[in-house]
Amino acid sequence: MRVAYYSPLPPSRSGIADYSALLLPALRERIEVVVAEPGKRAPDADVALYHVGNDPDAHGWIVDALERRPGVVVLHEYVLHHLIAGITIGRGDGRGYLEAMERELGVPGRLLGLGVLDNLLPLLWETQPERFPLSGTVLDRAHGLIVHSRYVGERARAAGYAGRLWRVPHPSWPMHAVEPAADVHGDPLIGCFGFLNMNKRIPELLEAFAAFRRTRPGARLLLVGAAGERFDVERRLERLGLTEGVERLDYVPEERMWSLMAACDVLVNLRYPTMGETSGSVIRALSLGRPLVVSDVGWFAELPDDVVLKVPVDEHEVDVIEAALGVAADHGAPLGRAAAAYVAREHDLARVADAYVAALEVAAGGDAVDDAVLWRIAEAAAEAGIDDVSELARAARDAGIVS
Amino acid sequence: MRVVVAAPQVPFEQGGAEVMADDLVAALRTRGHEAELVTIPFKWYPGTRVLDQAFLWRLVDLTESNGRPIDRVIATKFPAYCVRHPNKVAWVLHQFRQAYDYDRTDLGQFSESPEDRATRQAVARLDRIALGEARKVFATSRNVADRLRRFNGIEAEILPHPPQALPYREAEPEGFVLSVNRLDRAKRVDLLIEAAKQRGLPVVVVGDGPDRERLEGLANGSVTFAGRVGSDELADLYARCSALYYAPIDEDFGMGPYEAFLSGKPVVTTTDAGGPLEVVRDRETGLVVAPGAGEIAEACSYLTTHVDDAKAWGRAGRAIAERVTWDACVDALLS
Repeated sequence: MRVAYYSPLPPSRSGIADYSALLLPALRERIEVVVAEPGKRAPDADVALYHVGNDPDAHGWIVDALERRPGVVVLHEYVLHHLIAGITIGRGDGRGYLEAMERELGVPGRLLGLGVLDNLLPLLWETQPERFPLSGTVLDRAHGLIVHSRYVGERARAAGYAGRLWRVPHPSWPMHAVEPAADVHGDPLIGCFGFLNMNKRIPELLEAFAAFRRTRPGARLLLVGAAGERFDVERRLERLGLTEGVERLDYVPEERMWSLMAACDVLVNLRYPTMGETSGSVIRALSLGRPLVVSDVGWFAELPDDVVLKVPVDEHEVDVIEAALGVAADHGAPLGRAAAAYVAREHDLARVADAYVAALEVAAGGDAVDDAVLWRIAEAAAEAGIDDVSELARAARDAGIVS
Repeated sequence: MRVVVAAPQVPFEQGGAEVMADDLVAALRTRGHEAELVTIPFKWYPGTRVLDQAFLWRLVDLTESNGRPIDRVIATKFPAYCVRHPNKVAWVLHQFRQAYDYDRTDLGQFSESPEDRATRQAVARLDRIALGEARKVFATSRNVADRLRRFNGIEAEILPHPPQALPYREAEPEGFVLSVNRLDRAKRVDLLIEAAKQRGLPVVVVGDGPDRERLEGLANGSVTFAGRVGSDELADLYARCSALYYAPIDEDFGMGPYEAFLSGKPVVTTTDAGGPLEVVRDRETGLVVAPGAGEIAEACSYLTTHVDDAKAWGRAGRAIAERVTWDACVDALLS
């Protein structure tokens, strides 16, 4: 069986490109995979697999291909407003944007969309995308859906997606000996990796860290990742008197990132609002067996309680982050051990690749199998004088014989 | 207790699984239970037909019979364990191996077509559903339990079953190697025949099956084919042989070694034989060698010429086999 594989790949700098770079070799050990490329002819295949994320530059061409041929969609995040705006308004197709808004919210959606097009409303994908996910356009074309979390699966179902759905965990990177970076220090050293913006709760983290540092003056915070356009990290650090206690690094190569993570005593990965995404940084942190602090939302909330410290997003958030940093720094070893064991068990790359193959095989041939079985059931039923074969079809479905 | 033993049946075929199901019914009755064997003919090909068979079992209502409740269903194999019952226990001899470890080997049945691949996945999905419904899953060997865990994420307790009841006895070895198997390719009787030809070893092959004609051609008169034999004759052959050869590819469980052990005889098996390796231990209860005719010839020759070792290892095997009893099995299955 042959799979056409649509995804951004390195050197594209995105979590999904990293994800595919990890997954592809494992998939190729199990199944024939042809990687599709933007601007080239779609590969011949039994089934197409589309990795969809929210970045229109990285995923626009993939949604175009999905439009031409339905297939299995890997929904890496549920909120796709930025993507949809990019492939409609960004291409001069305001009408497409209005249709997407109307599909999601009916006439009020169309009116909101008109407000955006006429510059009467702020850009919704920047201000409140989580309220208008716009994933329906993609779900409508999905012949099967792979999600990483119950959160996204439930939201897709609530949005009316009725097709096959598989929950496949984010794969973990095969562990190798990682030498902790020797040029970063702190007592303790706290690390936060990834794009720095409001969604990552960086303001709340900085505030909590400032309080934490008042009782632990040796503590340092390592912030690794590019900052968002309208997010001035340096000014915030100055205001909180943190210029000494925080070290900033922009994009770092993969190996350097691993060694920096390994040097940290505690890792933090906060999120709100969530777009339904998983986090490669979280998987890396868990693999390394580092105590990890996350927000109690979306996929992050689904991580076991004995594996991460979860911070509710409420009025006590900053205080709880501060307390969690202390707990993780002083008593985090069992948490780290549980984290490493959990990732090895649940996010094992081979297990994930097997789950992908199972999903793809069912997506490619499942309908034909169901039809063949139901046809024979109907034939036998008719010969036995049973007119209403729909009852038997239901029985076959209830019995797990057809999917 | 009213107990149904649910097992599929391939018409005109008789092997270890059928013996085990019959013996289980007998063991239950001996212990005062009402027991009945319920079976449906099994045809697993072509293509999606295997799912029809599973559906038949799903439709069977075994919750009661003639107005009286059935207290427990013990199902042994795919697709019999697809039957629905609130007190179902699965005692898994093996799954539908074409969908698992046989897939993409000479023993598999599913091609690379999308329909075949999806059929294979449907079998796996059914296994997860059907075995997930069971109040308890037992596996007849560690090998079977490992496959359930590896392929389906299902945990099973290991519960080996006793071999068929024969008038087992011990006698002086007469220098021949015995093979007792259904004659199909997976049992690898051809390796023993090659070994016999290399060393001029006396070999008696008991059993029948689709590979018999090929094997007889291969032996070309160098090996005795006894066909199917009765209980007394089989016990006699076990008693008089020097060793049993038993080396299927990754066998689930394998009653052969237990039968040989109860006759005080060691076993020659191979490093890839699967279930038998749980009781055949090298130079303790037999010889474990690489799956090649030369290695098998060497091992068989050793056991026919080193009678003291053969006797000692056979007795050590008997101690293992005698610990596996129907009392223990019935207690576990009905608990």
